[in-house]
Amino acid sequence: MSDAFSIISLLSAVAVLTALGVGFGALLGAVSERFKGDESSLVEQIDTLLPQTQCGQCGYPGCRPYAEAINQGDAINKCPPGGDATITALADLLGRTPEPLDGEAPSEDLVAFIREDECIGCTKCIQACPVDAIIGAAKQMHTVIEDECTGCDLCLEPCPVDCIDMLPRSTPLAQWQPVTYPHQMIASDRRASMEMPHGTHL
Amino acid sequence: MARTFEFHGGVYPPERKQRSQGPVRHAMLPGRVVLHLDQHAGRPAFATVAVGDSVKVGTPIARCDGMISAALHASISGQVTQVDRHTITIDSDGLDAWQRLTPLEWRTASAEERLTRLEHSGVVGLGGAGFPTHIKARVSERQRIDTLVVNAAECEPYITVDDLTLRQYTSDVLEGAQLIASLCGAKQIVVGIEDNKPEAISALRQAMAESQPLSVTVSVIATRYPSGGERQLIKTLLDRDVPDKGLPADIGVLCQNPGTLLAALRSVRDGEPLVERLVTLTGEAIADPGNRWVRIGTPMAALLDEAGLNRAALHQLIEGGPMMGTPLADLEGVVTKTTNCLIAATRKELPPAPPESPCIRCGACEEACPANLLPQQLHWYARAKDDAKLAHYRLFDCIECNACSYVCPSHIPLVADYRHAKTRLRHQQLETAKAEHAKHRFEWRQARLDREEAEKQARRQARLARQSTQQTDSQGASPQADLRSLRIAQTAAKAAVRKAEKNLARAAQQDPQQSHDDLETQLATAKENLQAAEARLAEARSAGEPQETP
Repeated sequence: MSDAFSIISLLSAVAVLTALGVGFGALLGAVSERFKGDESSLVEQIDTLLPQTQCGQCGYPGCRPYAEAINQGDAINKCPPGGDATITALADLLGRTPEPLDGEAPSEDLVAFIREDECIGCTKCIQACPVDAIIGAAKQMHTVIEDECTGCDLCLEPCPVDCIDMLPRSTPLAQWQPVTYPHQMIASDRRASMEMPHGTHL
Repeated sequence: MARTFEFHGGVYPPERKQRSQGPVRHAMLPGRVVLHLDQHAGRPAFATVAVGDSVKVGTPIARCDGMISAALHASISGQVTQVDRHTITIDSDGLDAWQRLTPLEWRTASAEERLTRLEHSGVVGLGGAGFPTHIKARVSERQRIDTLVVNAAECEPYITVDDLTLRQYTSDVLEGAQLIASLCGAKQIVVGIEDNKPEAISALRQAMAESQPLSVTVSVIATRYPSGGERQLIKTLLDRDVPDKGLPADIGVLCQNPGTLLAALRSVRDGEPLVERLVTLTGEAIADPGNRWVRIGTPMAALLDEAGLNRAALHQLIEGGPMMGTPLADLEGVVTKTTNCLIAATRKELPPAPPESPCIRCGACEEACPANLLPQQLHWYARAKDDAKLAHYRLFDCIECNACSYVCPSHIPLVADYRHAKTRLRHQQLETAKAEHAKHRFEWRQARLDREEAEKQARRQARLARQSTQQTDSQGASPQADLRSLRIAQTAAKAAVRKAEKNLARAAQQDPQQSHDDLETQLATAKENLQAAEARLAEARSAGEPQETP
C-alpha cells in the first residue's frame, strides 16, 4: 500500500516538474520570439560608430553596408579612417576582442583638392564622390567643397588627368585646440614659456 | 535692505580696487582704430564698407550676419584704410564728427521700434560675454520673465568699471534698467551689489526712489568671489537655482550688467550706437590708473602709454580680471566691446605660478567651488581623458572662475585642465556631427540615384508598352509586378516623410537658434525615396493594366 502511494507521489512529482519545465520553456520561447532584439537598431548603432567617410576601403560600398556586414559576423578591423578608436568602440559594443587594424591608418585628416587649371571637366570625379562634395558640369571646371569632403580619395582614381591632390584639412579658428605640453616629471625641466599664469596666483 | 542668501564656496582674493577709484575721464582720440568683426558672441558681423569710404562716428560699418550677431559702427571719423576677413581699420581725420540715429522717446515708442534700435546700435553685453542685447531682450517671446537682475557685484579684483558707472550715471543706469525691464516684461528690478562699493550703494539708494514705473530693490551682498557669477548672484539675491544646462530665463530671471544698461539707454534715447565703453586701466606698471571712456578699436599700446605705462616694469598684461581674464602675449591688441579692464602688472604684483606638485587630496578646491563640483575628481579624469566620468562629474557646469586653482596648495592649474578637456570634448562633438552630416549626404545621394534609376526604368517600360500596344498582339510580355509589395513600400516611404517632417518641426521649435540642415537633408532624402517608390508603383500599374483589362 505504502509502495503504491510512494510510486504515485513519485510520478506526480515528475509530472509536475516536467509540466513546469515545458511550461516555462514555452513561455521563454514565446517571449524571445515576441521581443526579439531589433536587428536594424544594432546595425544603426554600429553605423554611428563608423567614421562615415564612405570611402569603401573595407570592401563594402559605404559605411552602412559595412555595418550590416559586421552585424553578420564580418571582422571589425577593416576601417582605416576610423583607426584604433573605432575598433575599440566596436569591440565594446559587440563584446568582441579588439584586433589590430587591417591596413594603415591615415596620419592626418585630408581633403581632396582639384588643381583647377588642369581640370578638363570630365565629371568622372563628381560621379565617384559618395557625398556629392564636388561641384561642376561637363566641360566646366570642377571644385571640391572642403566642408563636405570626407577625404575618402575615391575621386583620385577616376581622374584622367591626375589633377586631384589630397591635402591636409584647414582647421577653422572655432575648432582651435590649445597646444599642450606633456607633463614633465621634474619641475626644473620646464621651459620659461610654461610659466604663463594658468590660474594666476595673487 | 532686501534679504540675501548664501551660495556654496567662494574665495577672498585681495581686492586691489583702490588704485582705479578716480573720476571717469575720456581717453585721447586714437589716430587709428582696428575693429574686429567678431567681438561679440555668435556669428561675426558682415562688413558693409570698402577701403576708401569716409565714415563718421556712429556710421554703420558691418551688419548682423544671422540671428545671433551684432552690428558694428565706426568709432572715429575718418577713412576706411583696410577691410579683411576679420577686421576693419579706420584712420582718423581728427574731426570727431558724429552720425547719430534719431532719438526715441522710449516710454512711448513701440517695443519693436526699441528692439530694432538696439539691434541697429550693436549693443552687446559689456560684462564680458558680449551676448547681443537685442536677442536677450527678446527672451519674453519665448519665456516669461519676472525679475530683471542688475549685476553690479563686480567680484573680480582690480575692476571698478561697474562701480564707477553706477556712481556717475546712477539715474541713467536705472532708466536703462526700466527700458530693458519693459521689453522683457519683468515685474521688478533687483540690483545686486557687493558691500565694498559704499559710494555706489548710497547713490543707488538716492536714485531708486525716483525710478519709474517699476520698483527697484538694492540688495547689498557680502564681498566674496565669485558672487558676480550669474548663477551665484541669482542664488544670493533670489534663492533660486538655475537648472543644469539651463539659463536664468528658465526660472524667470534676466541678468544685465550696468554698463550694458547704460549703452542700451543711450542707443534708444539718444540715438548713440555703441562706439565707446568704460575700461579700467590699472596695475602697478601704470602711473595714472583709472577708468576711461575708450573708443572701441583703440590700440592698447597707445591707451596704456597715455596712462603712463612703464614698459620696463611690465611683467604681464591681462585683459579682464586677474582670476578669469586672458593674459596677453604683447601690447598689439585693441580694445573690443568686451574689454572691461586692462591690468599692467609688475612681476612682484602678480608673480608667475610656482611649479605644480602632485594633488594631496586635501579637498580645499571642493570647499571653494561655487558650482558645487568636485574639482579634484575632475582633475584626475581630465588628465586621464575619461570622458564618461567627466560627464558624470558635470565638467560642463564649471564656470572657470579659478577659485579652485587659487586655493590649491599644490598649485595645480586646475582650470587649464578643465578648459583643455572641454575643448577636446567639443571637438569630439563636432567630429560626430560632421560624420552624421556626411552620412545624411551619402543617404541622400543613394536615394537620388535610386529615384533616377526608377524613373529611367519607368520611361523604358512606358516605351515598351507603347510599342507592344502598337503591335496589338501583346501576350503580357512584361512580368507581373508585385503591386502589393510596391504599395507597401510606397506607404512606408510616406510614413518616413511624415516622420522626418515631424522631427524637423519639433527640433526647430525646441531650438530655433540652431540650423537644422541635417534634418532638412533627412527630409529631402525621405521625399526622394517616396518619389522613387511612387515612380515604381506607377510603372508597375501601367505595366499591369493591359493584363488586367482583358
